[in-house]
Amino acid sequence: MPILSGCWDQTSIEERAYVVAIGLDKSKSGNENQIQVTYLLANPEFSKKEAMTNEPPMEMITFDTNDLIVGKNKANTVIAKEISFNLLSVILVSEEFAKDKNFIRWMYDTTKEREIKRNTPVIVTKEETSIFFKQNHPKLESRIHKYYDYTLKYGSEAGMIPNSESNLGKYYRTTQADASLYLAIYGTSEKSNYSRSNEEDSLMAGEMKFGGETNKVQFMGSAVFKEGKMIGKLTGEETRATVLLNNTLKMGAILATYKDPFDERYRITAKLLKKEKTDVKMDLKNPMPTIDVIIPIYLDILTQHSMIDYANDAPKRERLKQSIEEEITDTFNALIKKTQEEFKGEPFGWATLARKQFLTIKEFEDYDWMKTYPEIDVNIKVKVNIGNFGNQSEVPDLEEMRD
Amino acid sequence: MNSMDSTKGKIGLKELVALILLDVGTKVADDTPHTFYEAFGTAAWIGILLIGLITLIPILLLTKLIKLYQDKNLIDIILHLFGKYIGFVVLFILWIMQVFANISNSAIYTDIIGTMYFNRTPVVVIYVVLVAVAAYGAKKGVEYIGSSAWVILFWVILSLLVVLGVTFVQGEFTYIFPILGTGGWEIVKGSYNHSSLLTDFLYFGFIASNVKNVSIFNKGIWIGFSIVLLSFLLALIGYVMLFDYYGVRMFDYPYHETIRYIEIGFLTNVELLFFPFWLISSFIRFSFYLYLSALLFGALFKIKHFEYIVPALAALTMLVGLIPESAIFSMNRLRVIFLNVIAPVFLLLPCLLWITAKLKGDFKK
Amino acid sequence: MEEITSLKKKAIDSNLEKTIEMFKNFYSVPLNKDIIIRNFSISGLDKKATVIYINSITDSEKIEEHIIRPMLTNTVSDKKLENISPAQLLNTHEIYEDILKDINNGNTALLIDGETKAYVFSSTKFQGRSVEKPLNEVVVKGPKEAFNENVIDNISLLRKKIRSENLIFESYTISKSSKNVLYIVYMKDLVNEELLKNVKSKINSIDVNAIQNLSLLEEYIEDRNKSIFPTILSTERPDRATSYLEDGYIALLMDNSPDSLILPATFWSFFHNSEDHYLRFLFGNFIRLLRLLALMITLFISAIYISVTNYHVEMIPTDLLLAMSASREVVPFPSIIEILLMEIAFELIREGGLRVPNPIGPTIGIVGALILGQAAVEANIVSPLVVIIVALSGLCSFAIGDIKLNFSVRLARFLFIFSAALFGFYGMTALFTIGLFYIVSLYSFGIPYLAPMTPKYISSKDTFFRKILKNEQYRPGYLKPKDMVKKKEVQ
Repeated sequence: MPILSGCWDQTSIEERAYVVAIGLDKSKSGNENQIQVTYLLANPEFSKKEAMTNEPPMEMITFDTNDLIVGKNKANTVIAKEISFNLLSVILVSEEFAKDKNFIRWMYDTTKEREIKRNTPVIVTKEETSIFFKQNHPKLESRIHKYYDYTLKYGSEAGMIPNSESNLGKYYRTTQADASLYLAIYGTSEKSNYSRSNEEDSLMAGEMKFGGETNKVQFMGSAVFKEGKMIGKLTGEETRATVLLNNTLKMGAILATYKDPFDERYRITAKLLKKEKTDVKMDLKNPMPTIDVIIPIYLDILTQHSMIDYANDAPKRERLKQSIEEEITDTFNALIKKTQEEFKGEPFGWATLARKQFLTIKEFEDYDWMKTYPEIDVNIKVKVNIGNFGNQSEVPDLEEMRD
Repeated sequence: MNSMDSTKGKIGLKELVALILLDVGTKVADDTPHTFYEAFGTAAWIGILLIGLITLIPILLLTKLIKLYQDKNLIDIILHLFGKYIGFVVLFILWIMQVFANISNSAIYTDIIGTMYFNRTPVVVIYVVLVAVAAYGAKKGVEYIGSSAWVILFWVILSLLVVLGVTFVQGEFTYIFPILGTGGWEIVKGSYNHSSLLTDFLYFGFIASNVKNVSIFNKGIWIGFSIVLLSFLLALIGYVMLFDYYGVRMFDYPYHETIRYIEIGFLTNVELLFFPFWLISSFIRFSFYLYLSALLFGALFKIKHFEYIVPALAALTMLVGLIPESAIFSMNRLRVIFLNVIAPVFLLLPCLLWITAKLKGDFKK
Repeated sequence: MEEITSLKKKAIDSNLEKTIEMFKNFYSVPLNKDIIIRNFSISGLDKKATVIYINSITDSEKIEEHIIRPMLTNTVSDKKLENISPAQLLNTHEIYEDILKDINNGNTALLIDGETKAYVFSSTKFQGRSVEKPLNEVVVKGPKEAFNENVIDNISLLRKKIRSENLIFESYTISKSSKNVLYIVYMKDLVNEELLKNVKSKINSIDVNAIQNLSLLEEYIEDRNKSIFPTILSTERPDRATSYLEDGYIALLMDNSPDSLILPATFWSFFHNSEDHYLRFLFGNFIRLLRLLALMITLFISAIYISVTNYHVEMIPTDLLLAMSASREVVPFPSIIEILLMEIAFELIREGGLRVPNPIGPTIGIVGALILGQAAVEANIVSPLVVIIVALSGLCSFAIGDIKLNFSVRLARFLFIFSAALFGFYGMTALFTIGLFYIVSLYSFGIPYLAPMTPKYISSKDTFFRKILKNEQYRPGYLKPKDMVKKKEVQ
């Protein structure tokens, strides 16, 4: 009875084991053709209303295999139900594996597997993914797929991680176009001993020190890929700057701190919004090609520990504006320099804007954006507009208060 | 089942337009765009506009011929103008072309359903269902195919608009550049080669006698023509905007990749919402194709009730379609050659017919 | 038997005694207790006379007052019979058969000694219900009269609404032994002649002994008996019947049938409700939209559940998917069996609920809900989502008022479930396309089933949604009425 027993493609919903995350590492066995694959399976019981079971919220299996598709069968020697990638919410790769020159071959396997969608996010982890999974125990999200969804969403709103860029589809596109660099989210569960300056944002994942009873995993910064292979990293602040320069990356409202020009001891917190697109003008026909970028930024000043009365004092505001503009421009210039010298490519999506200047695909490909970019003269101008000063714009005069 | 309806068996304007839109428009969602991107690059949309321009003349001549010979369809016109023997040969060539189109298209569509949605089901089964439904519709007759097309047209267009709308929102407009794609001359050459996309319009001439009257036929053809071009334009732009030329070039079936990629609000996997609409328009398309091949066969061998040939032709289509092992590769190459060969036939035939009619003096009557 | 039949064809004897004997023979008096044969003599004319009538179906007061008393008190000696009795003289007959027919219809036969013909006076009074509220087609706002089993009452209800001399009630006798009478009702200046001829020829070709009511007649005159879709509409509301009559349709009425048949009937006749037009434009369209939604839900939702859980799991949002997977883990049956079990149980409850005697009625509802709902889920026979789905599809099917279309939809639902079990969405879409081809090629008395949506005709375009009444100007073109314009544009 084909109706009752089902035909071919029919597999009942409870007969599938749902892989929520896949981890890819280099194989420890030394075999060049094998990789180490980790599947993270979700326990459906935890999505039920009266979920009172003694089962753990997730199950994990790690093994060596040729690629992640043939691994499906191998995993069924251990896992009870049929492995299904329908609920895959994230793919993790270790930094070591991403830097391998053959990495791209295994990434392309995901195009062949029907159940893996192109908008699956890609995360690069500092350590091996199997260790990452083991250490990742979010206390308040027992449903692990929700954890990944939320983290990636809210982390990218702050601009710390390049979420809307960082999925499989974009990886393929950028790699095939061979003109821009691809950014992936960077995360880790290990605390790093390396400490940079005290400023808030120029940190990488693992460098933020925190205590309390919470999860060990943090996501910050991005991994940079050129032609399918990882070549470097960007800190959280640099990622933010990239998001500001790149019109296709979306950001929410960013909270950042800047030097207070009137009092060296304190810093000012501002809320950044990008209301208009970054204006990029390119002049490529010139033997000395240039790019002029104007970035409009809207700031709401939120905290000023110096207690200086900016709200009512116009010249002080001008000074503040200039100081912030300088600071931001410096950050951008440092970033541009890094991309031109260290990476020799740009992750800002300028290649697609450059395409407007050419008539045919052949012309553009002959120009070879990737090679010419490091030579281009990039001028950045930041236009800061100060909006309001938070809920209460006036701050009491400390000295008056304390006398 | 007697009827006092004098328009029984006749197709009205709405049904004709719906039939045209579903028949030719479904090509947006199979592997036709793939060949486009190969030839034109990012300028695929310019390509379609050029194709429209090139095919304007043949279609115009066709409508003039239909208007001249009222109540006759293209079969009668060909036989009348070219005589019995040459006419037979021409019709035979057209019939072979139609059958080949049937076979290759149904094989490809079966492949789409198999690879995208039903991985493990044997191809035979999918093929059988597809052909069986198409045969049922074809046997009923073209006016019912038209009526069914009109009933669901609204929903199919709605689903396409939703897909395109979301694609434009989630895509990047700058991926369209460089504007001229593979270059000016390539575009023109490609347009010529791919003009066989609109061969179906020539075949609509065969049902001209089933339409209520000639002015409806001509109006329907032009309305259908413009809407089809518009939908191709939007779709080709949409696919590039979402995936960029480099990505979309690799896809066999861009429409299905698109509906797997886009997200609507909290629904992350919307492909299955749009799948049934594409499926219905495909069924209607194949019904119509089967009907046409039966019609032509009946005209060639003087069979009056050609509906009864439909099951035989359906079975033939399926058996031949199952032969190539991996449909997508062999079919694709064959199809490209086939399309290039058809293009001159499609472009020249109306011109030849028109010239012959002019020479015969039929226009003066 | 032969003898009796040939006897019936003879003319009556002028000898009163002999004639009365014949009638007693025919009627098996004294076995048959309600046949009254009353002998008296007409005073004035001094003739012996007899009235014969059937007690239970005549108005005995009328007979006594209007027929017998004037005869008894007549004083003039040469008055003609028609002038003595004020009662309505129906007929005069000579042949036994004709007289019998009239007596059987509740009339009174007067036999006079020495005359060779019998006088038949009208005195019919059958017992039956009075005009009551409609039971099956309920509206909130609108007339609440329904047809009853007495055809004269029904005709009266129709004439009340269309007070025109063009409203014709033609009558036909359609069965041989029970002699049931069928009334064909139409507007003379609107209806299409060919359609009328078509219907009449169909009726004339029926060759059966007894057709008791319209529901039986339906099957005899339908085009396609075995089709899943009905092609004749039956309604118990006179306002609905009159709106169809005024559009150029034909109605059929019969004794013993508290409804009328409307033909031809398109899909839209079944889909529409009279309330849509009685409410305001927006509300009427809102209700239509809801009905369309209910139709879609009841047809597809169980099938969609089966397709999605077996073939297309990626469609469900993640959390719901995991929840469903968890709740289905403990259920022993595959989802198809679950759905079939629940659907069949629901249909059984529905059928049972219709036939349950009134005192136990509400109890069944509670018991049904308890059993199906809570207990089945608690016992892990079905998962809770299935209960919701089946209940939803069942309830939505009630939104489709017409009972025949209701059944069509219920049966079609099962077909969709099977096709979904075989092939998921592919199977459902294939079945839907086949159904579409089928329904488009269906004809009801020569009218395409989906007109005026397709093929196109001039009409009020009243298909899924309706327009403001002012804009519904045309009668349905597919009926080819003689006069297409319903109302002139308001200047």
